[in-house]
Order: sequence, then structure tokens, then C-alpha cells
Amino acid sequence: MEAKSIVISVEGMTCNSCVQTIEQHVGKLNGIHDIKVSLEGKNAVIIYDPKVQTPESLQEIIDDMGFDATPANSNPEP
Amino acid sequence: SSSSFQKHEFFVDMTCEGCSNAVTRVLNKLGGVQFDINLPNKKVCIESEHSIDTLLETLKKTGKTTNYLGEK
Repeated sequence: MEAKSIVISVEGMTCNSCVQTIEQHVGKLNGIHDIKVSLEGKNAVIIYDPKVQTPESLQEIIDDMGFDATPANSNPEP
Repeated sequence: SSSSFQKHEFFVDMTCEGCSNAVTRVLNKLGGVQFDINLPNKKVCIESEHSIDTLLETLKKTGKTTNYLGEK
């Protein structure tokens, strides 16, 4: 089984309930091996199967939940 | 004439402003809705042309526990 890792910036979370909601909801989806959401870091670290999910699909899932999701590590600072 | 749409009340398990903002965002994405969010009572009152099922499905996108309470 393939696994890739991605960091997605998530804006709009204000409490641990938001964190848990995202972890539980996304964690249940196909192709998600693991997800860790950080309230302080305002991001989600997701280990996923690239055959099932893409950075775009993952971003859209979180965006659809009502949070502002943007890729965090696709454009590294020089 | 004033609005002809029925108001529907939903329970959404919101605990903070982040939760209610998430509800606001998914409802605005759906469009065609007017709504009030009561965070302390965990209630969302929606006036819309959409069916109850559509509204419920939209609210469930937030990943929170959601129930239809009835007409208001």
C-alpha cells in the first residue's frame, strides 16, 4: 500500500471540538491512513494513499466542512 | 409579500465560534438560504427553498451531529 504525506493549512478552527471533528470526519474516508490536526499550528498532517486521494481532493474535503484549507508545503519558501 | 418559505429548525452540535463559522460557510456555499445560528442552544434556523433533506445533508458536511427539530 502506498502512502504519501501532506500538510494542509486550516484556518477557522478555534477549539478542540473543531480539531476532533476534522480528524474523525477525514479519518473515516477512503485512502486516509492517518490524520493529525493541530489547533496551534492551524494545520492538518495527513498520511494518504495517492491512488485514492490527491492534495486537491483532501483540500476540498476540509474546505467542504466549512474551513479555509490551503496547501502548506506545495510551495516551499526559498 | 413577505417570504413564502417555511422556517426549519435544526440541532447542530456546535461548541465554539469555529463550529458556527463552519456552518455559516457550508450554508453560504449551498446558497438560497437565510439562516440564524444560535450557538449557545446549538440550533440553526433556516428559511430556504431547498428540501429538508438537502439542508440536513449540507449541515452534516461539517461532520457534526445534526438533527432536524421541526418547523418553526
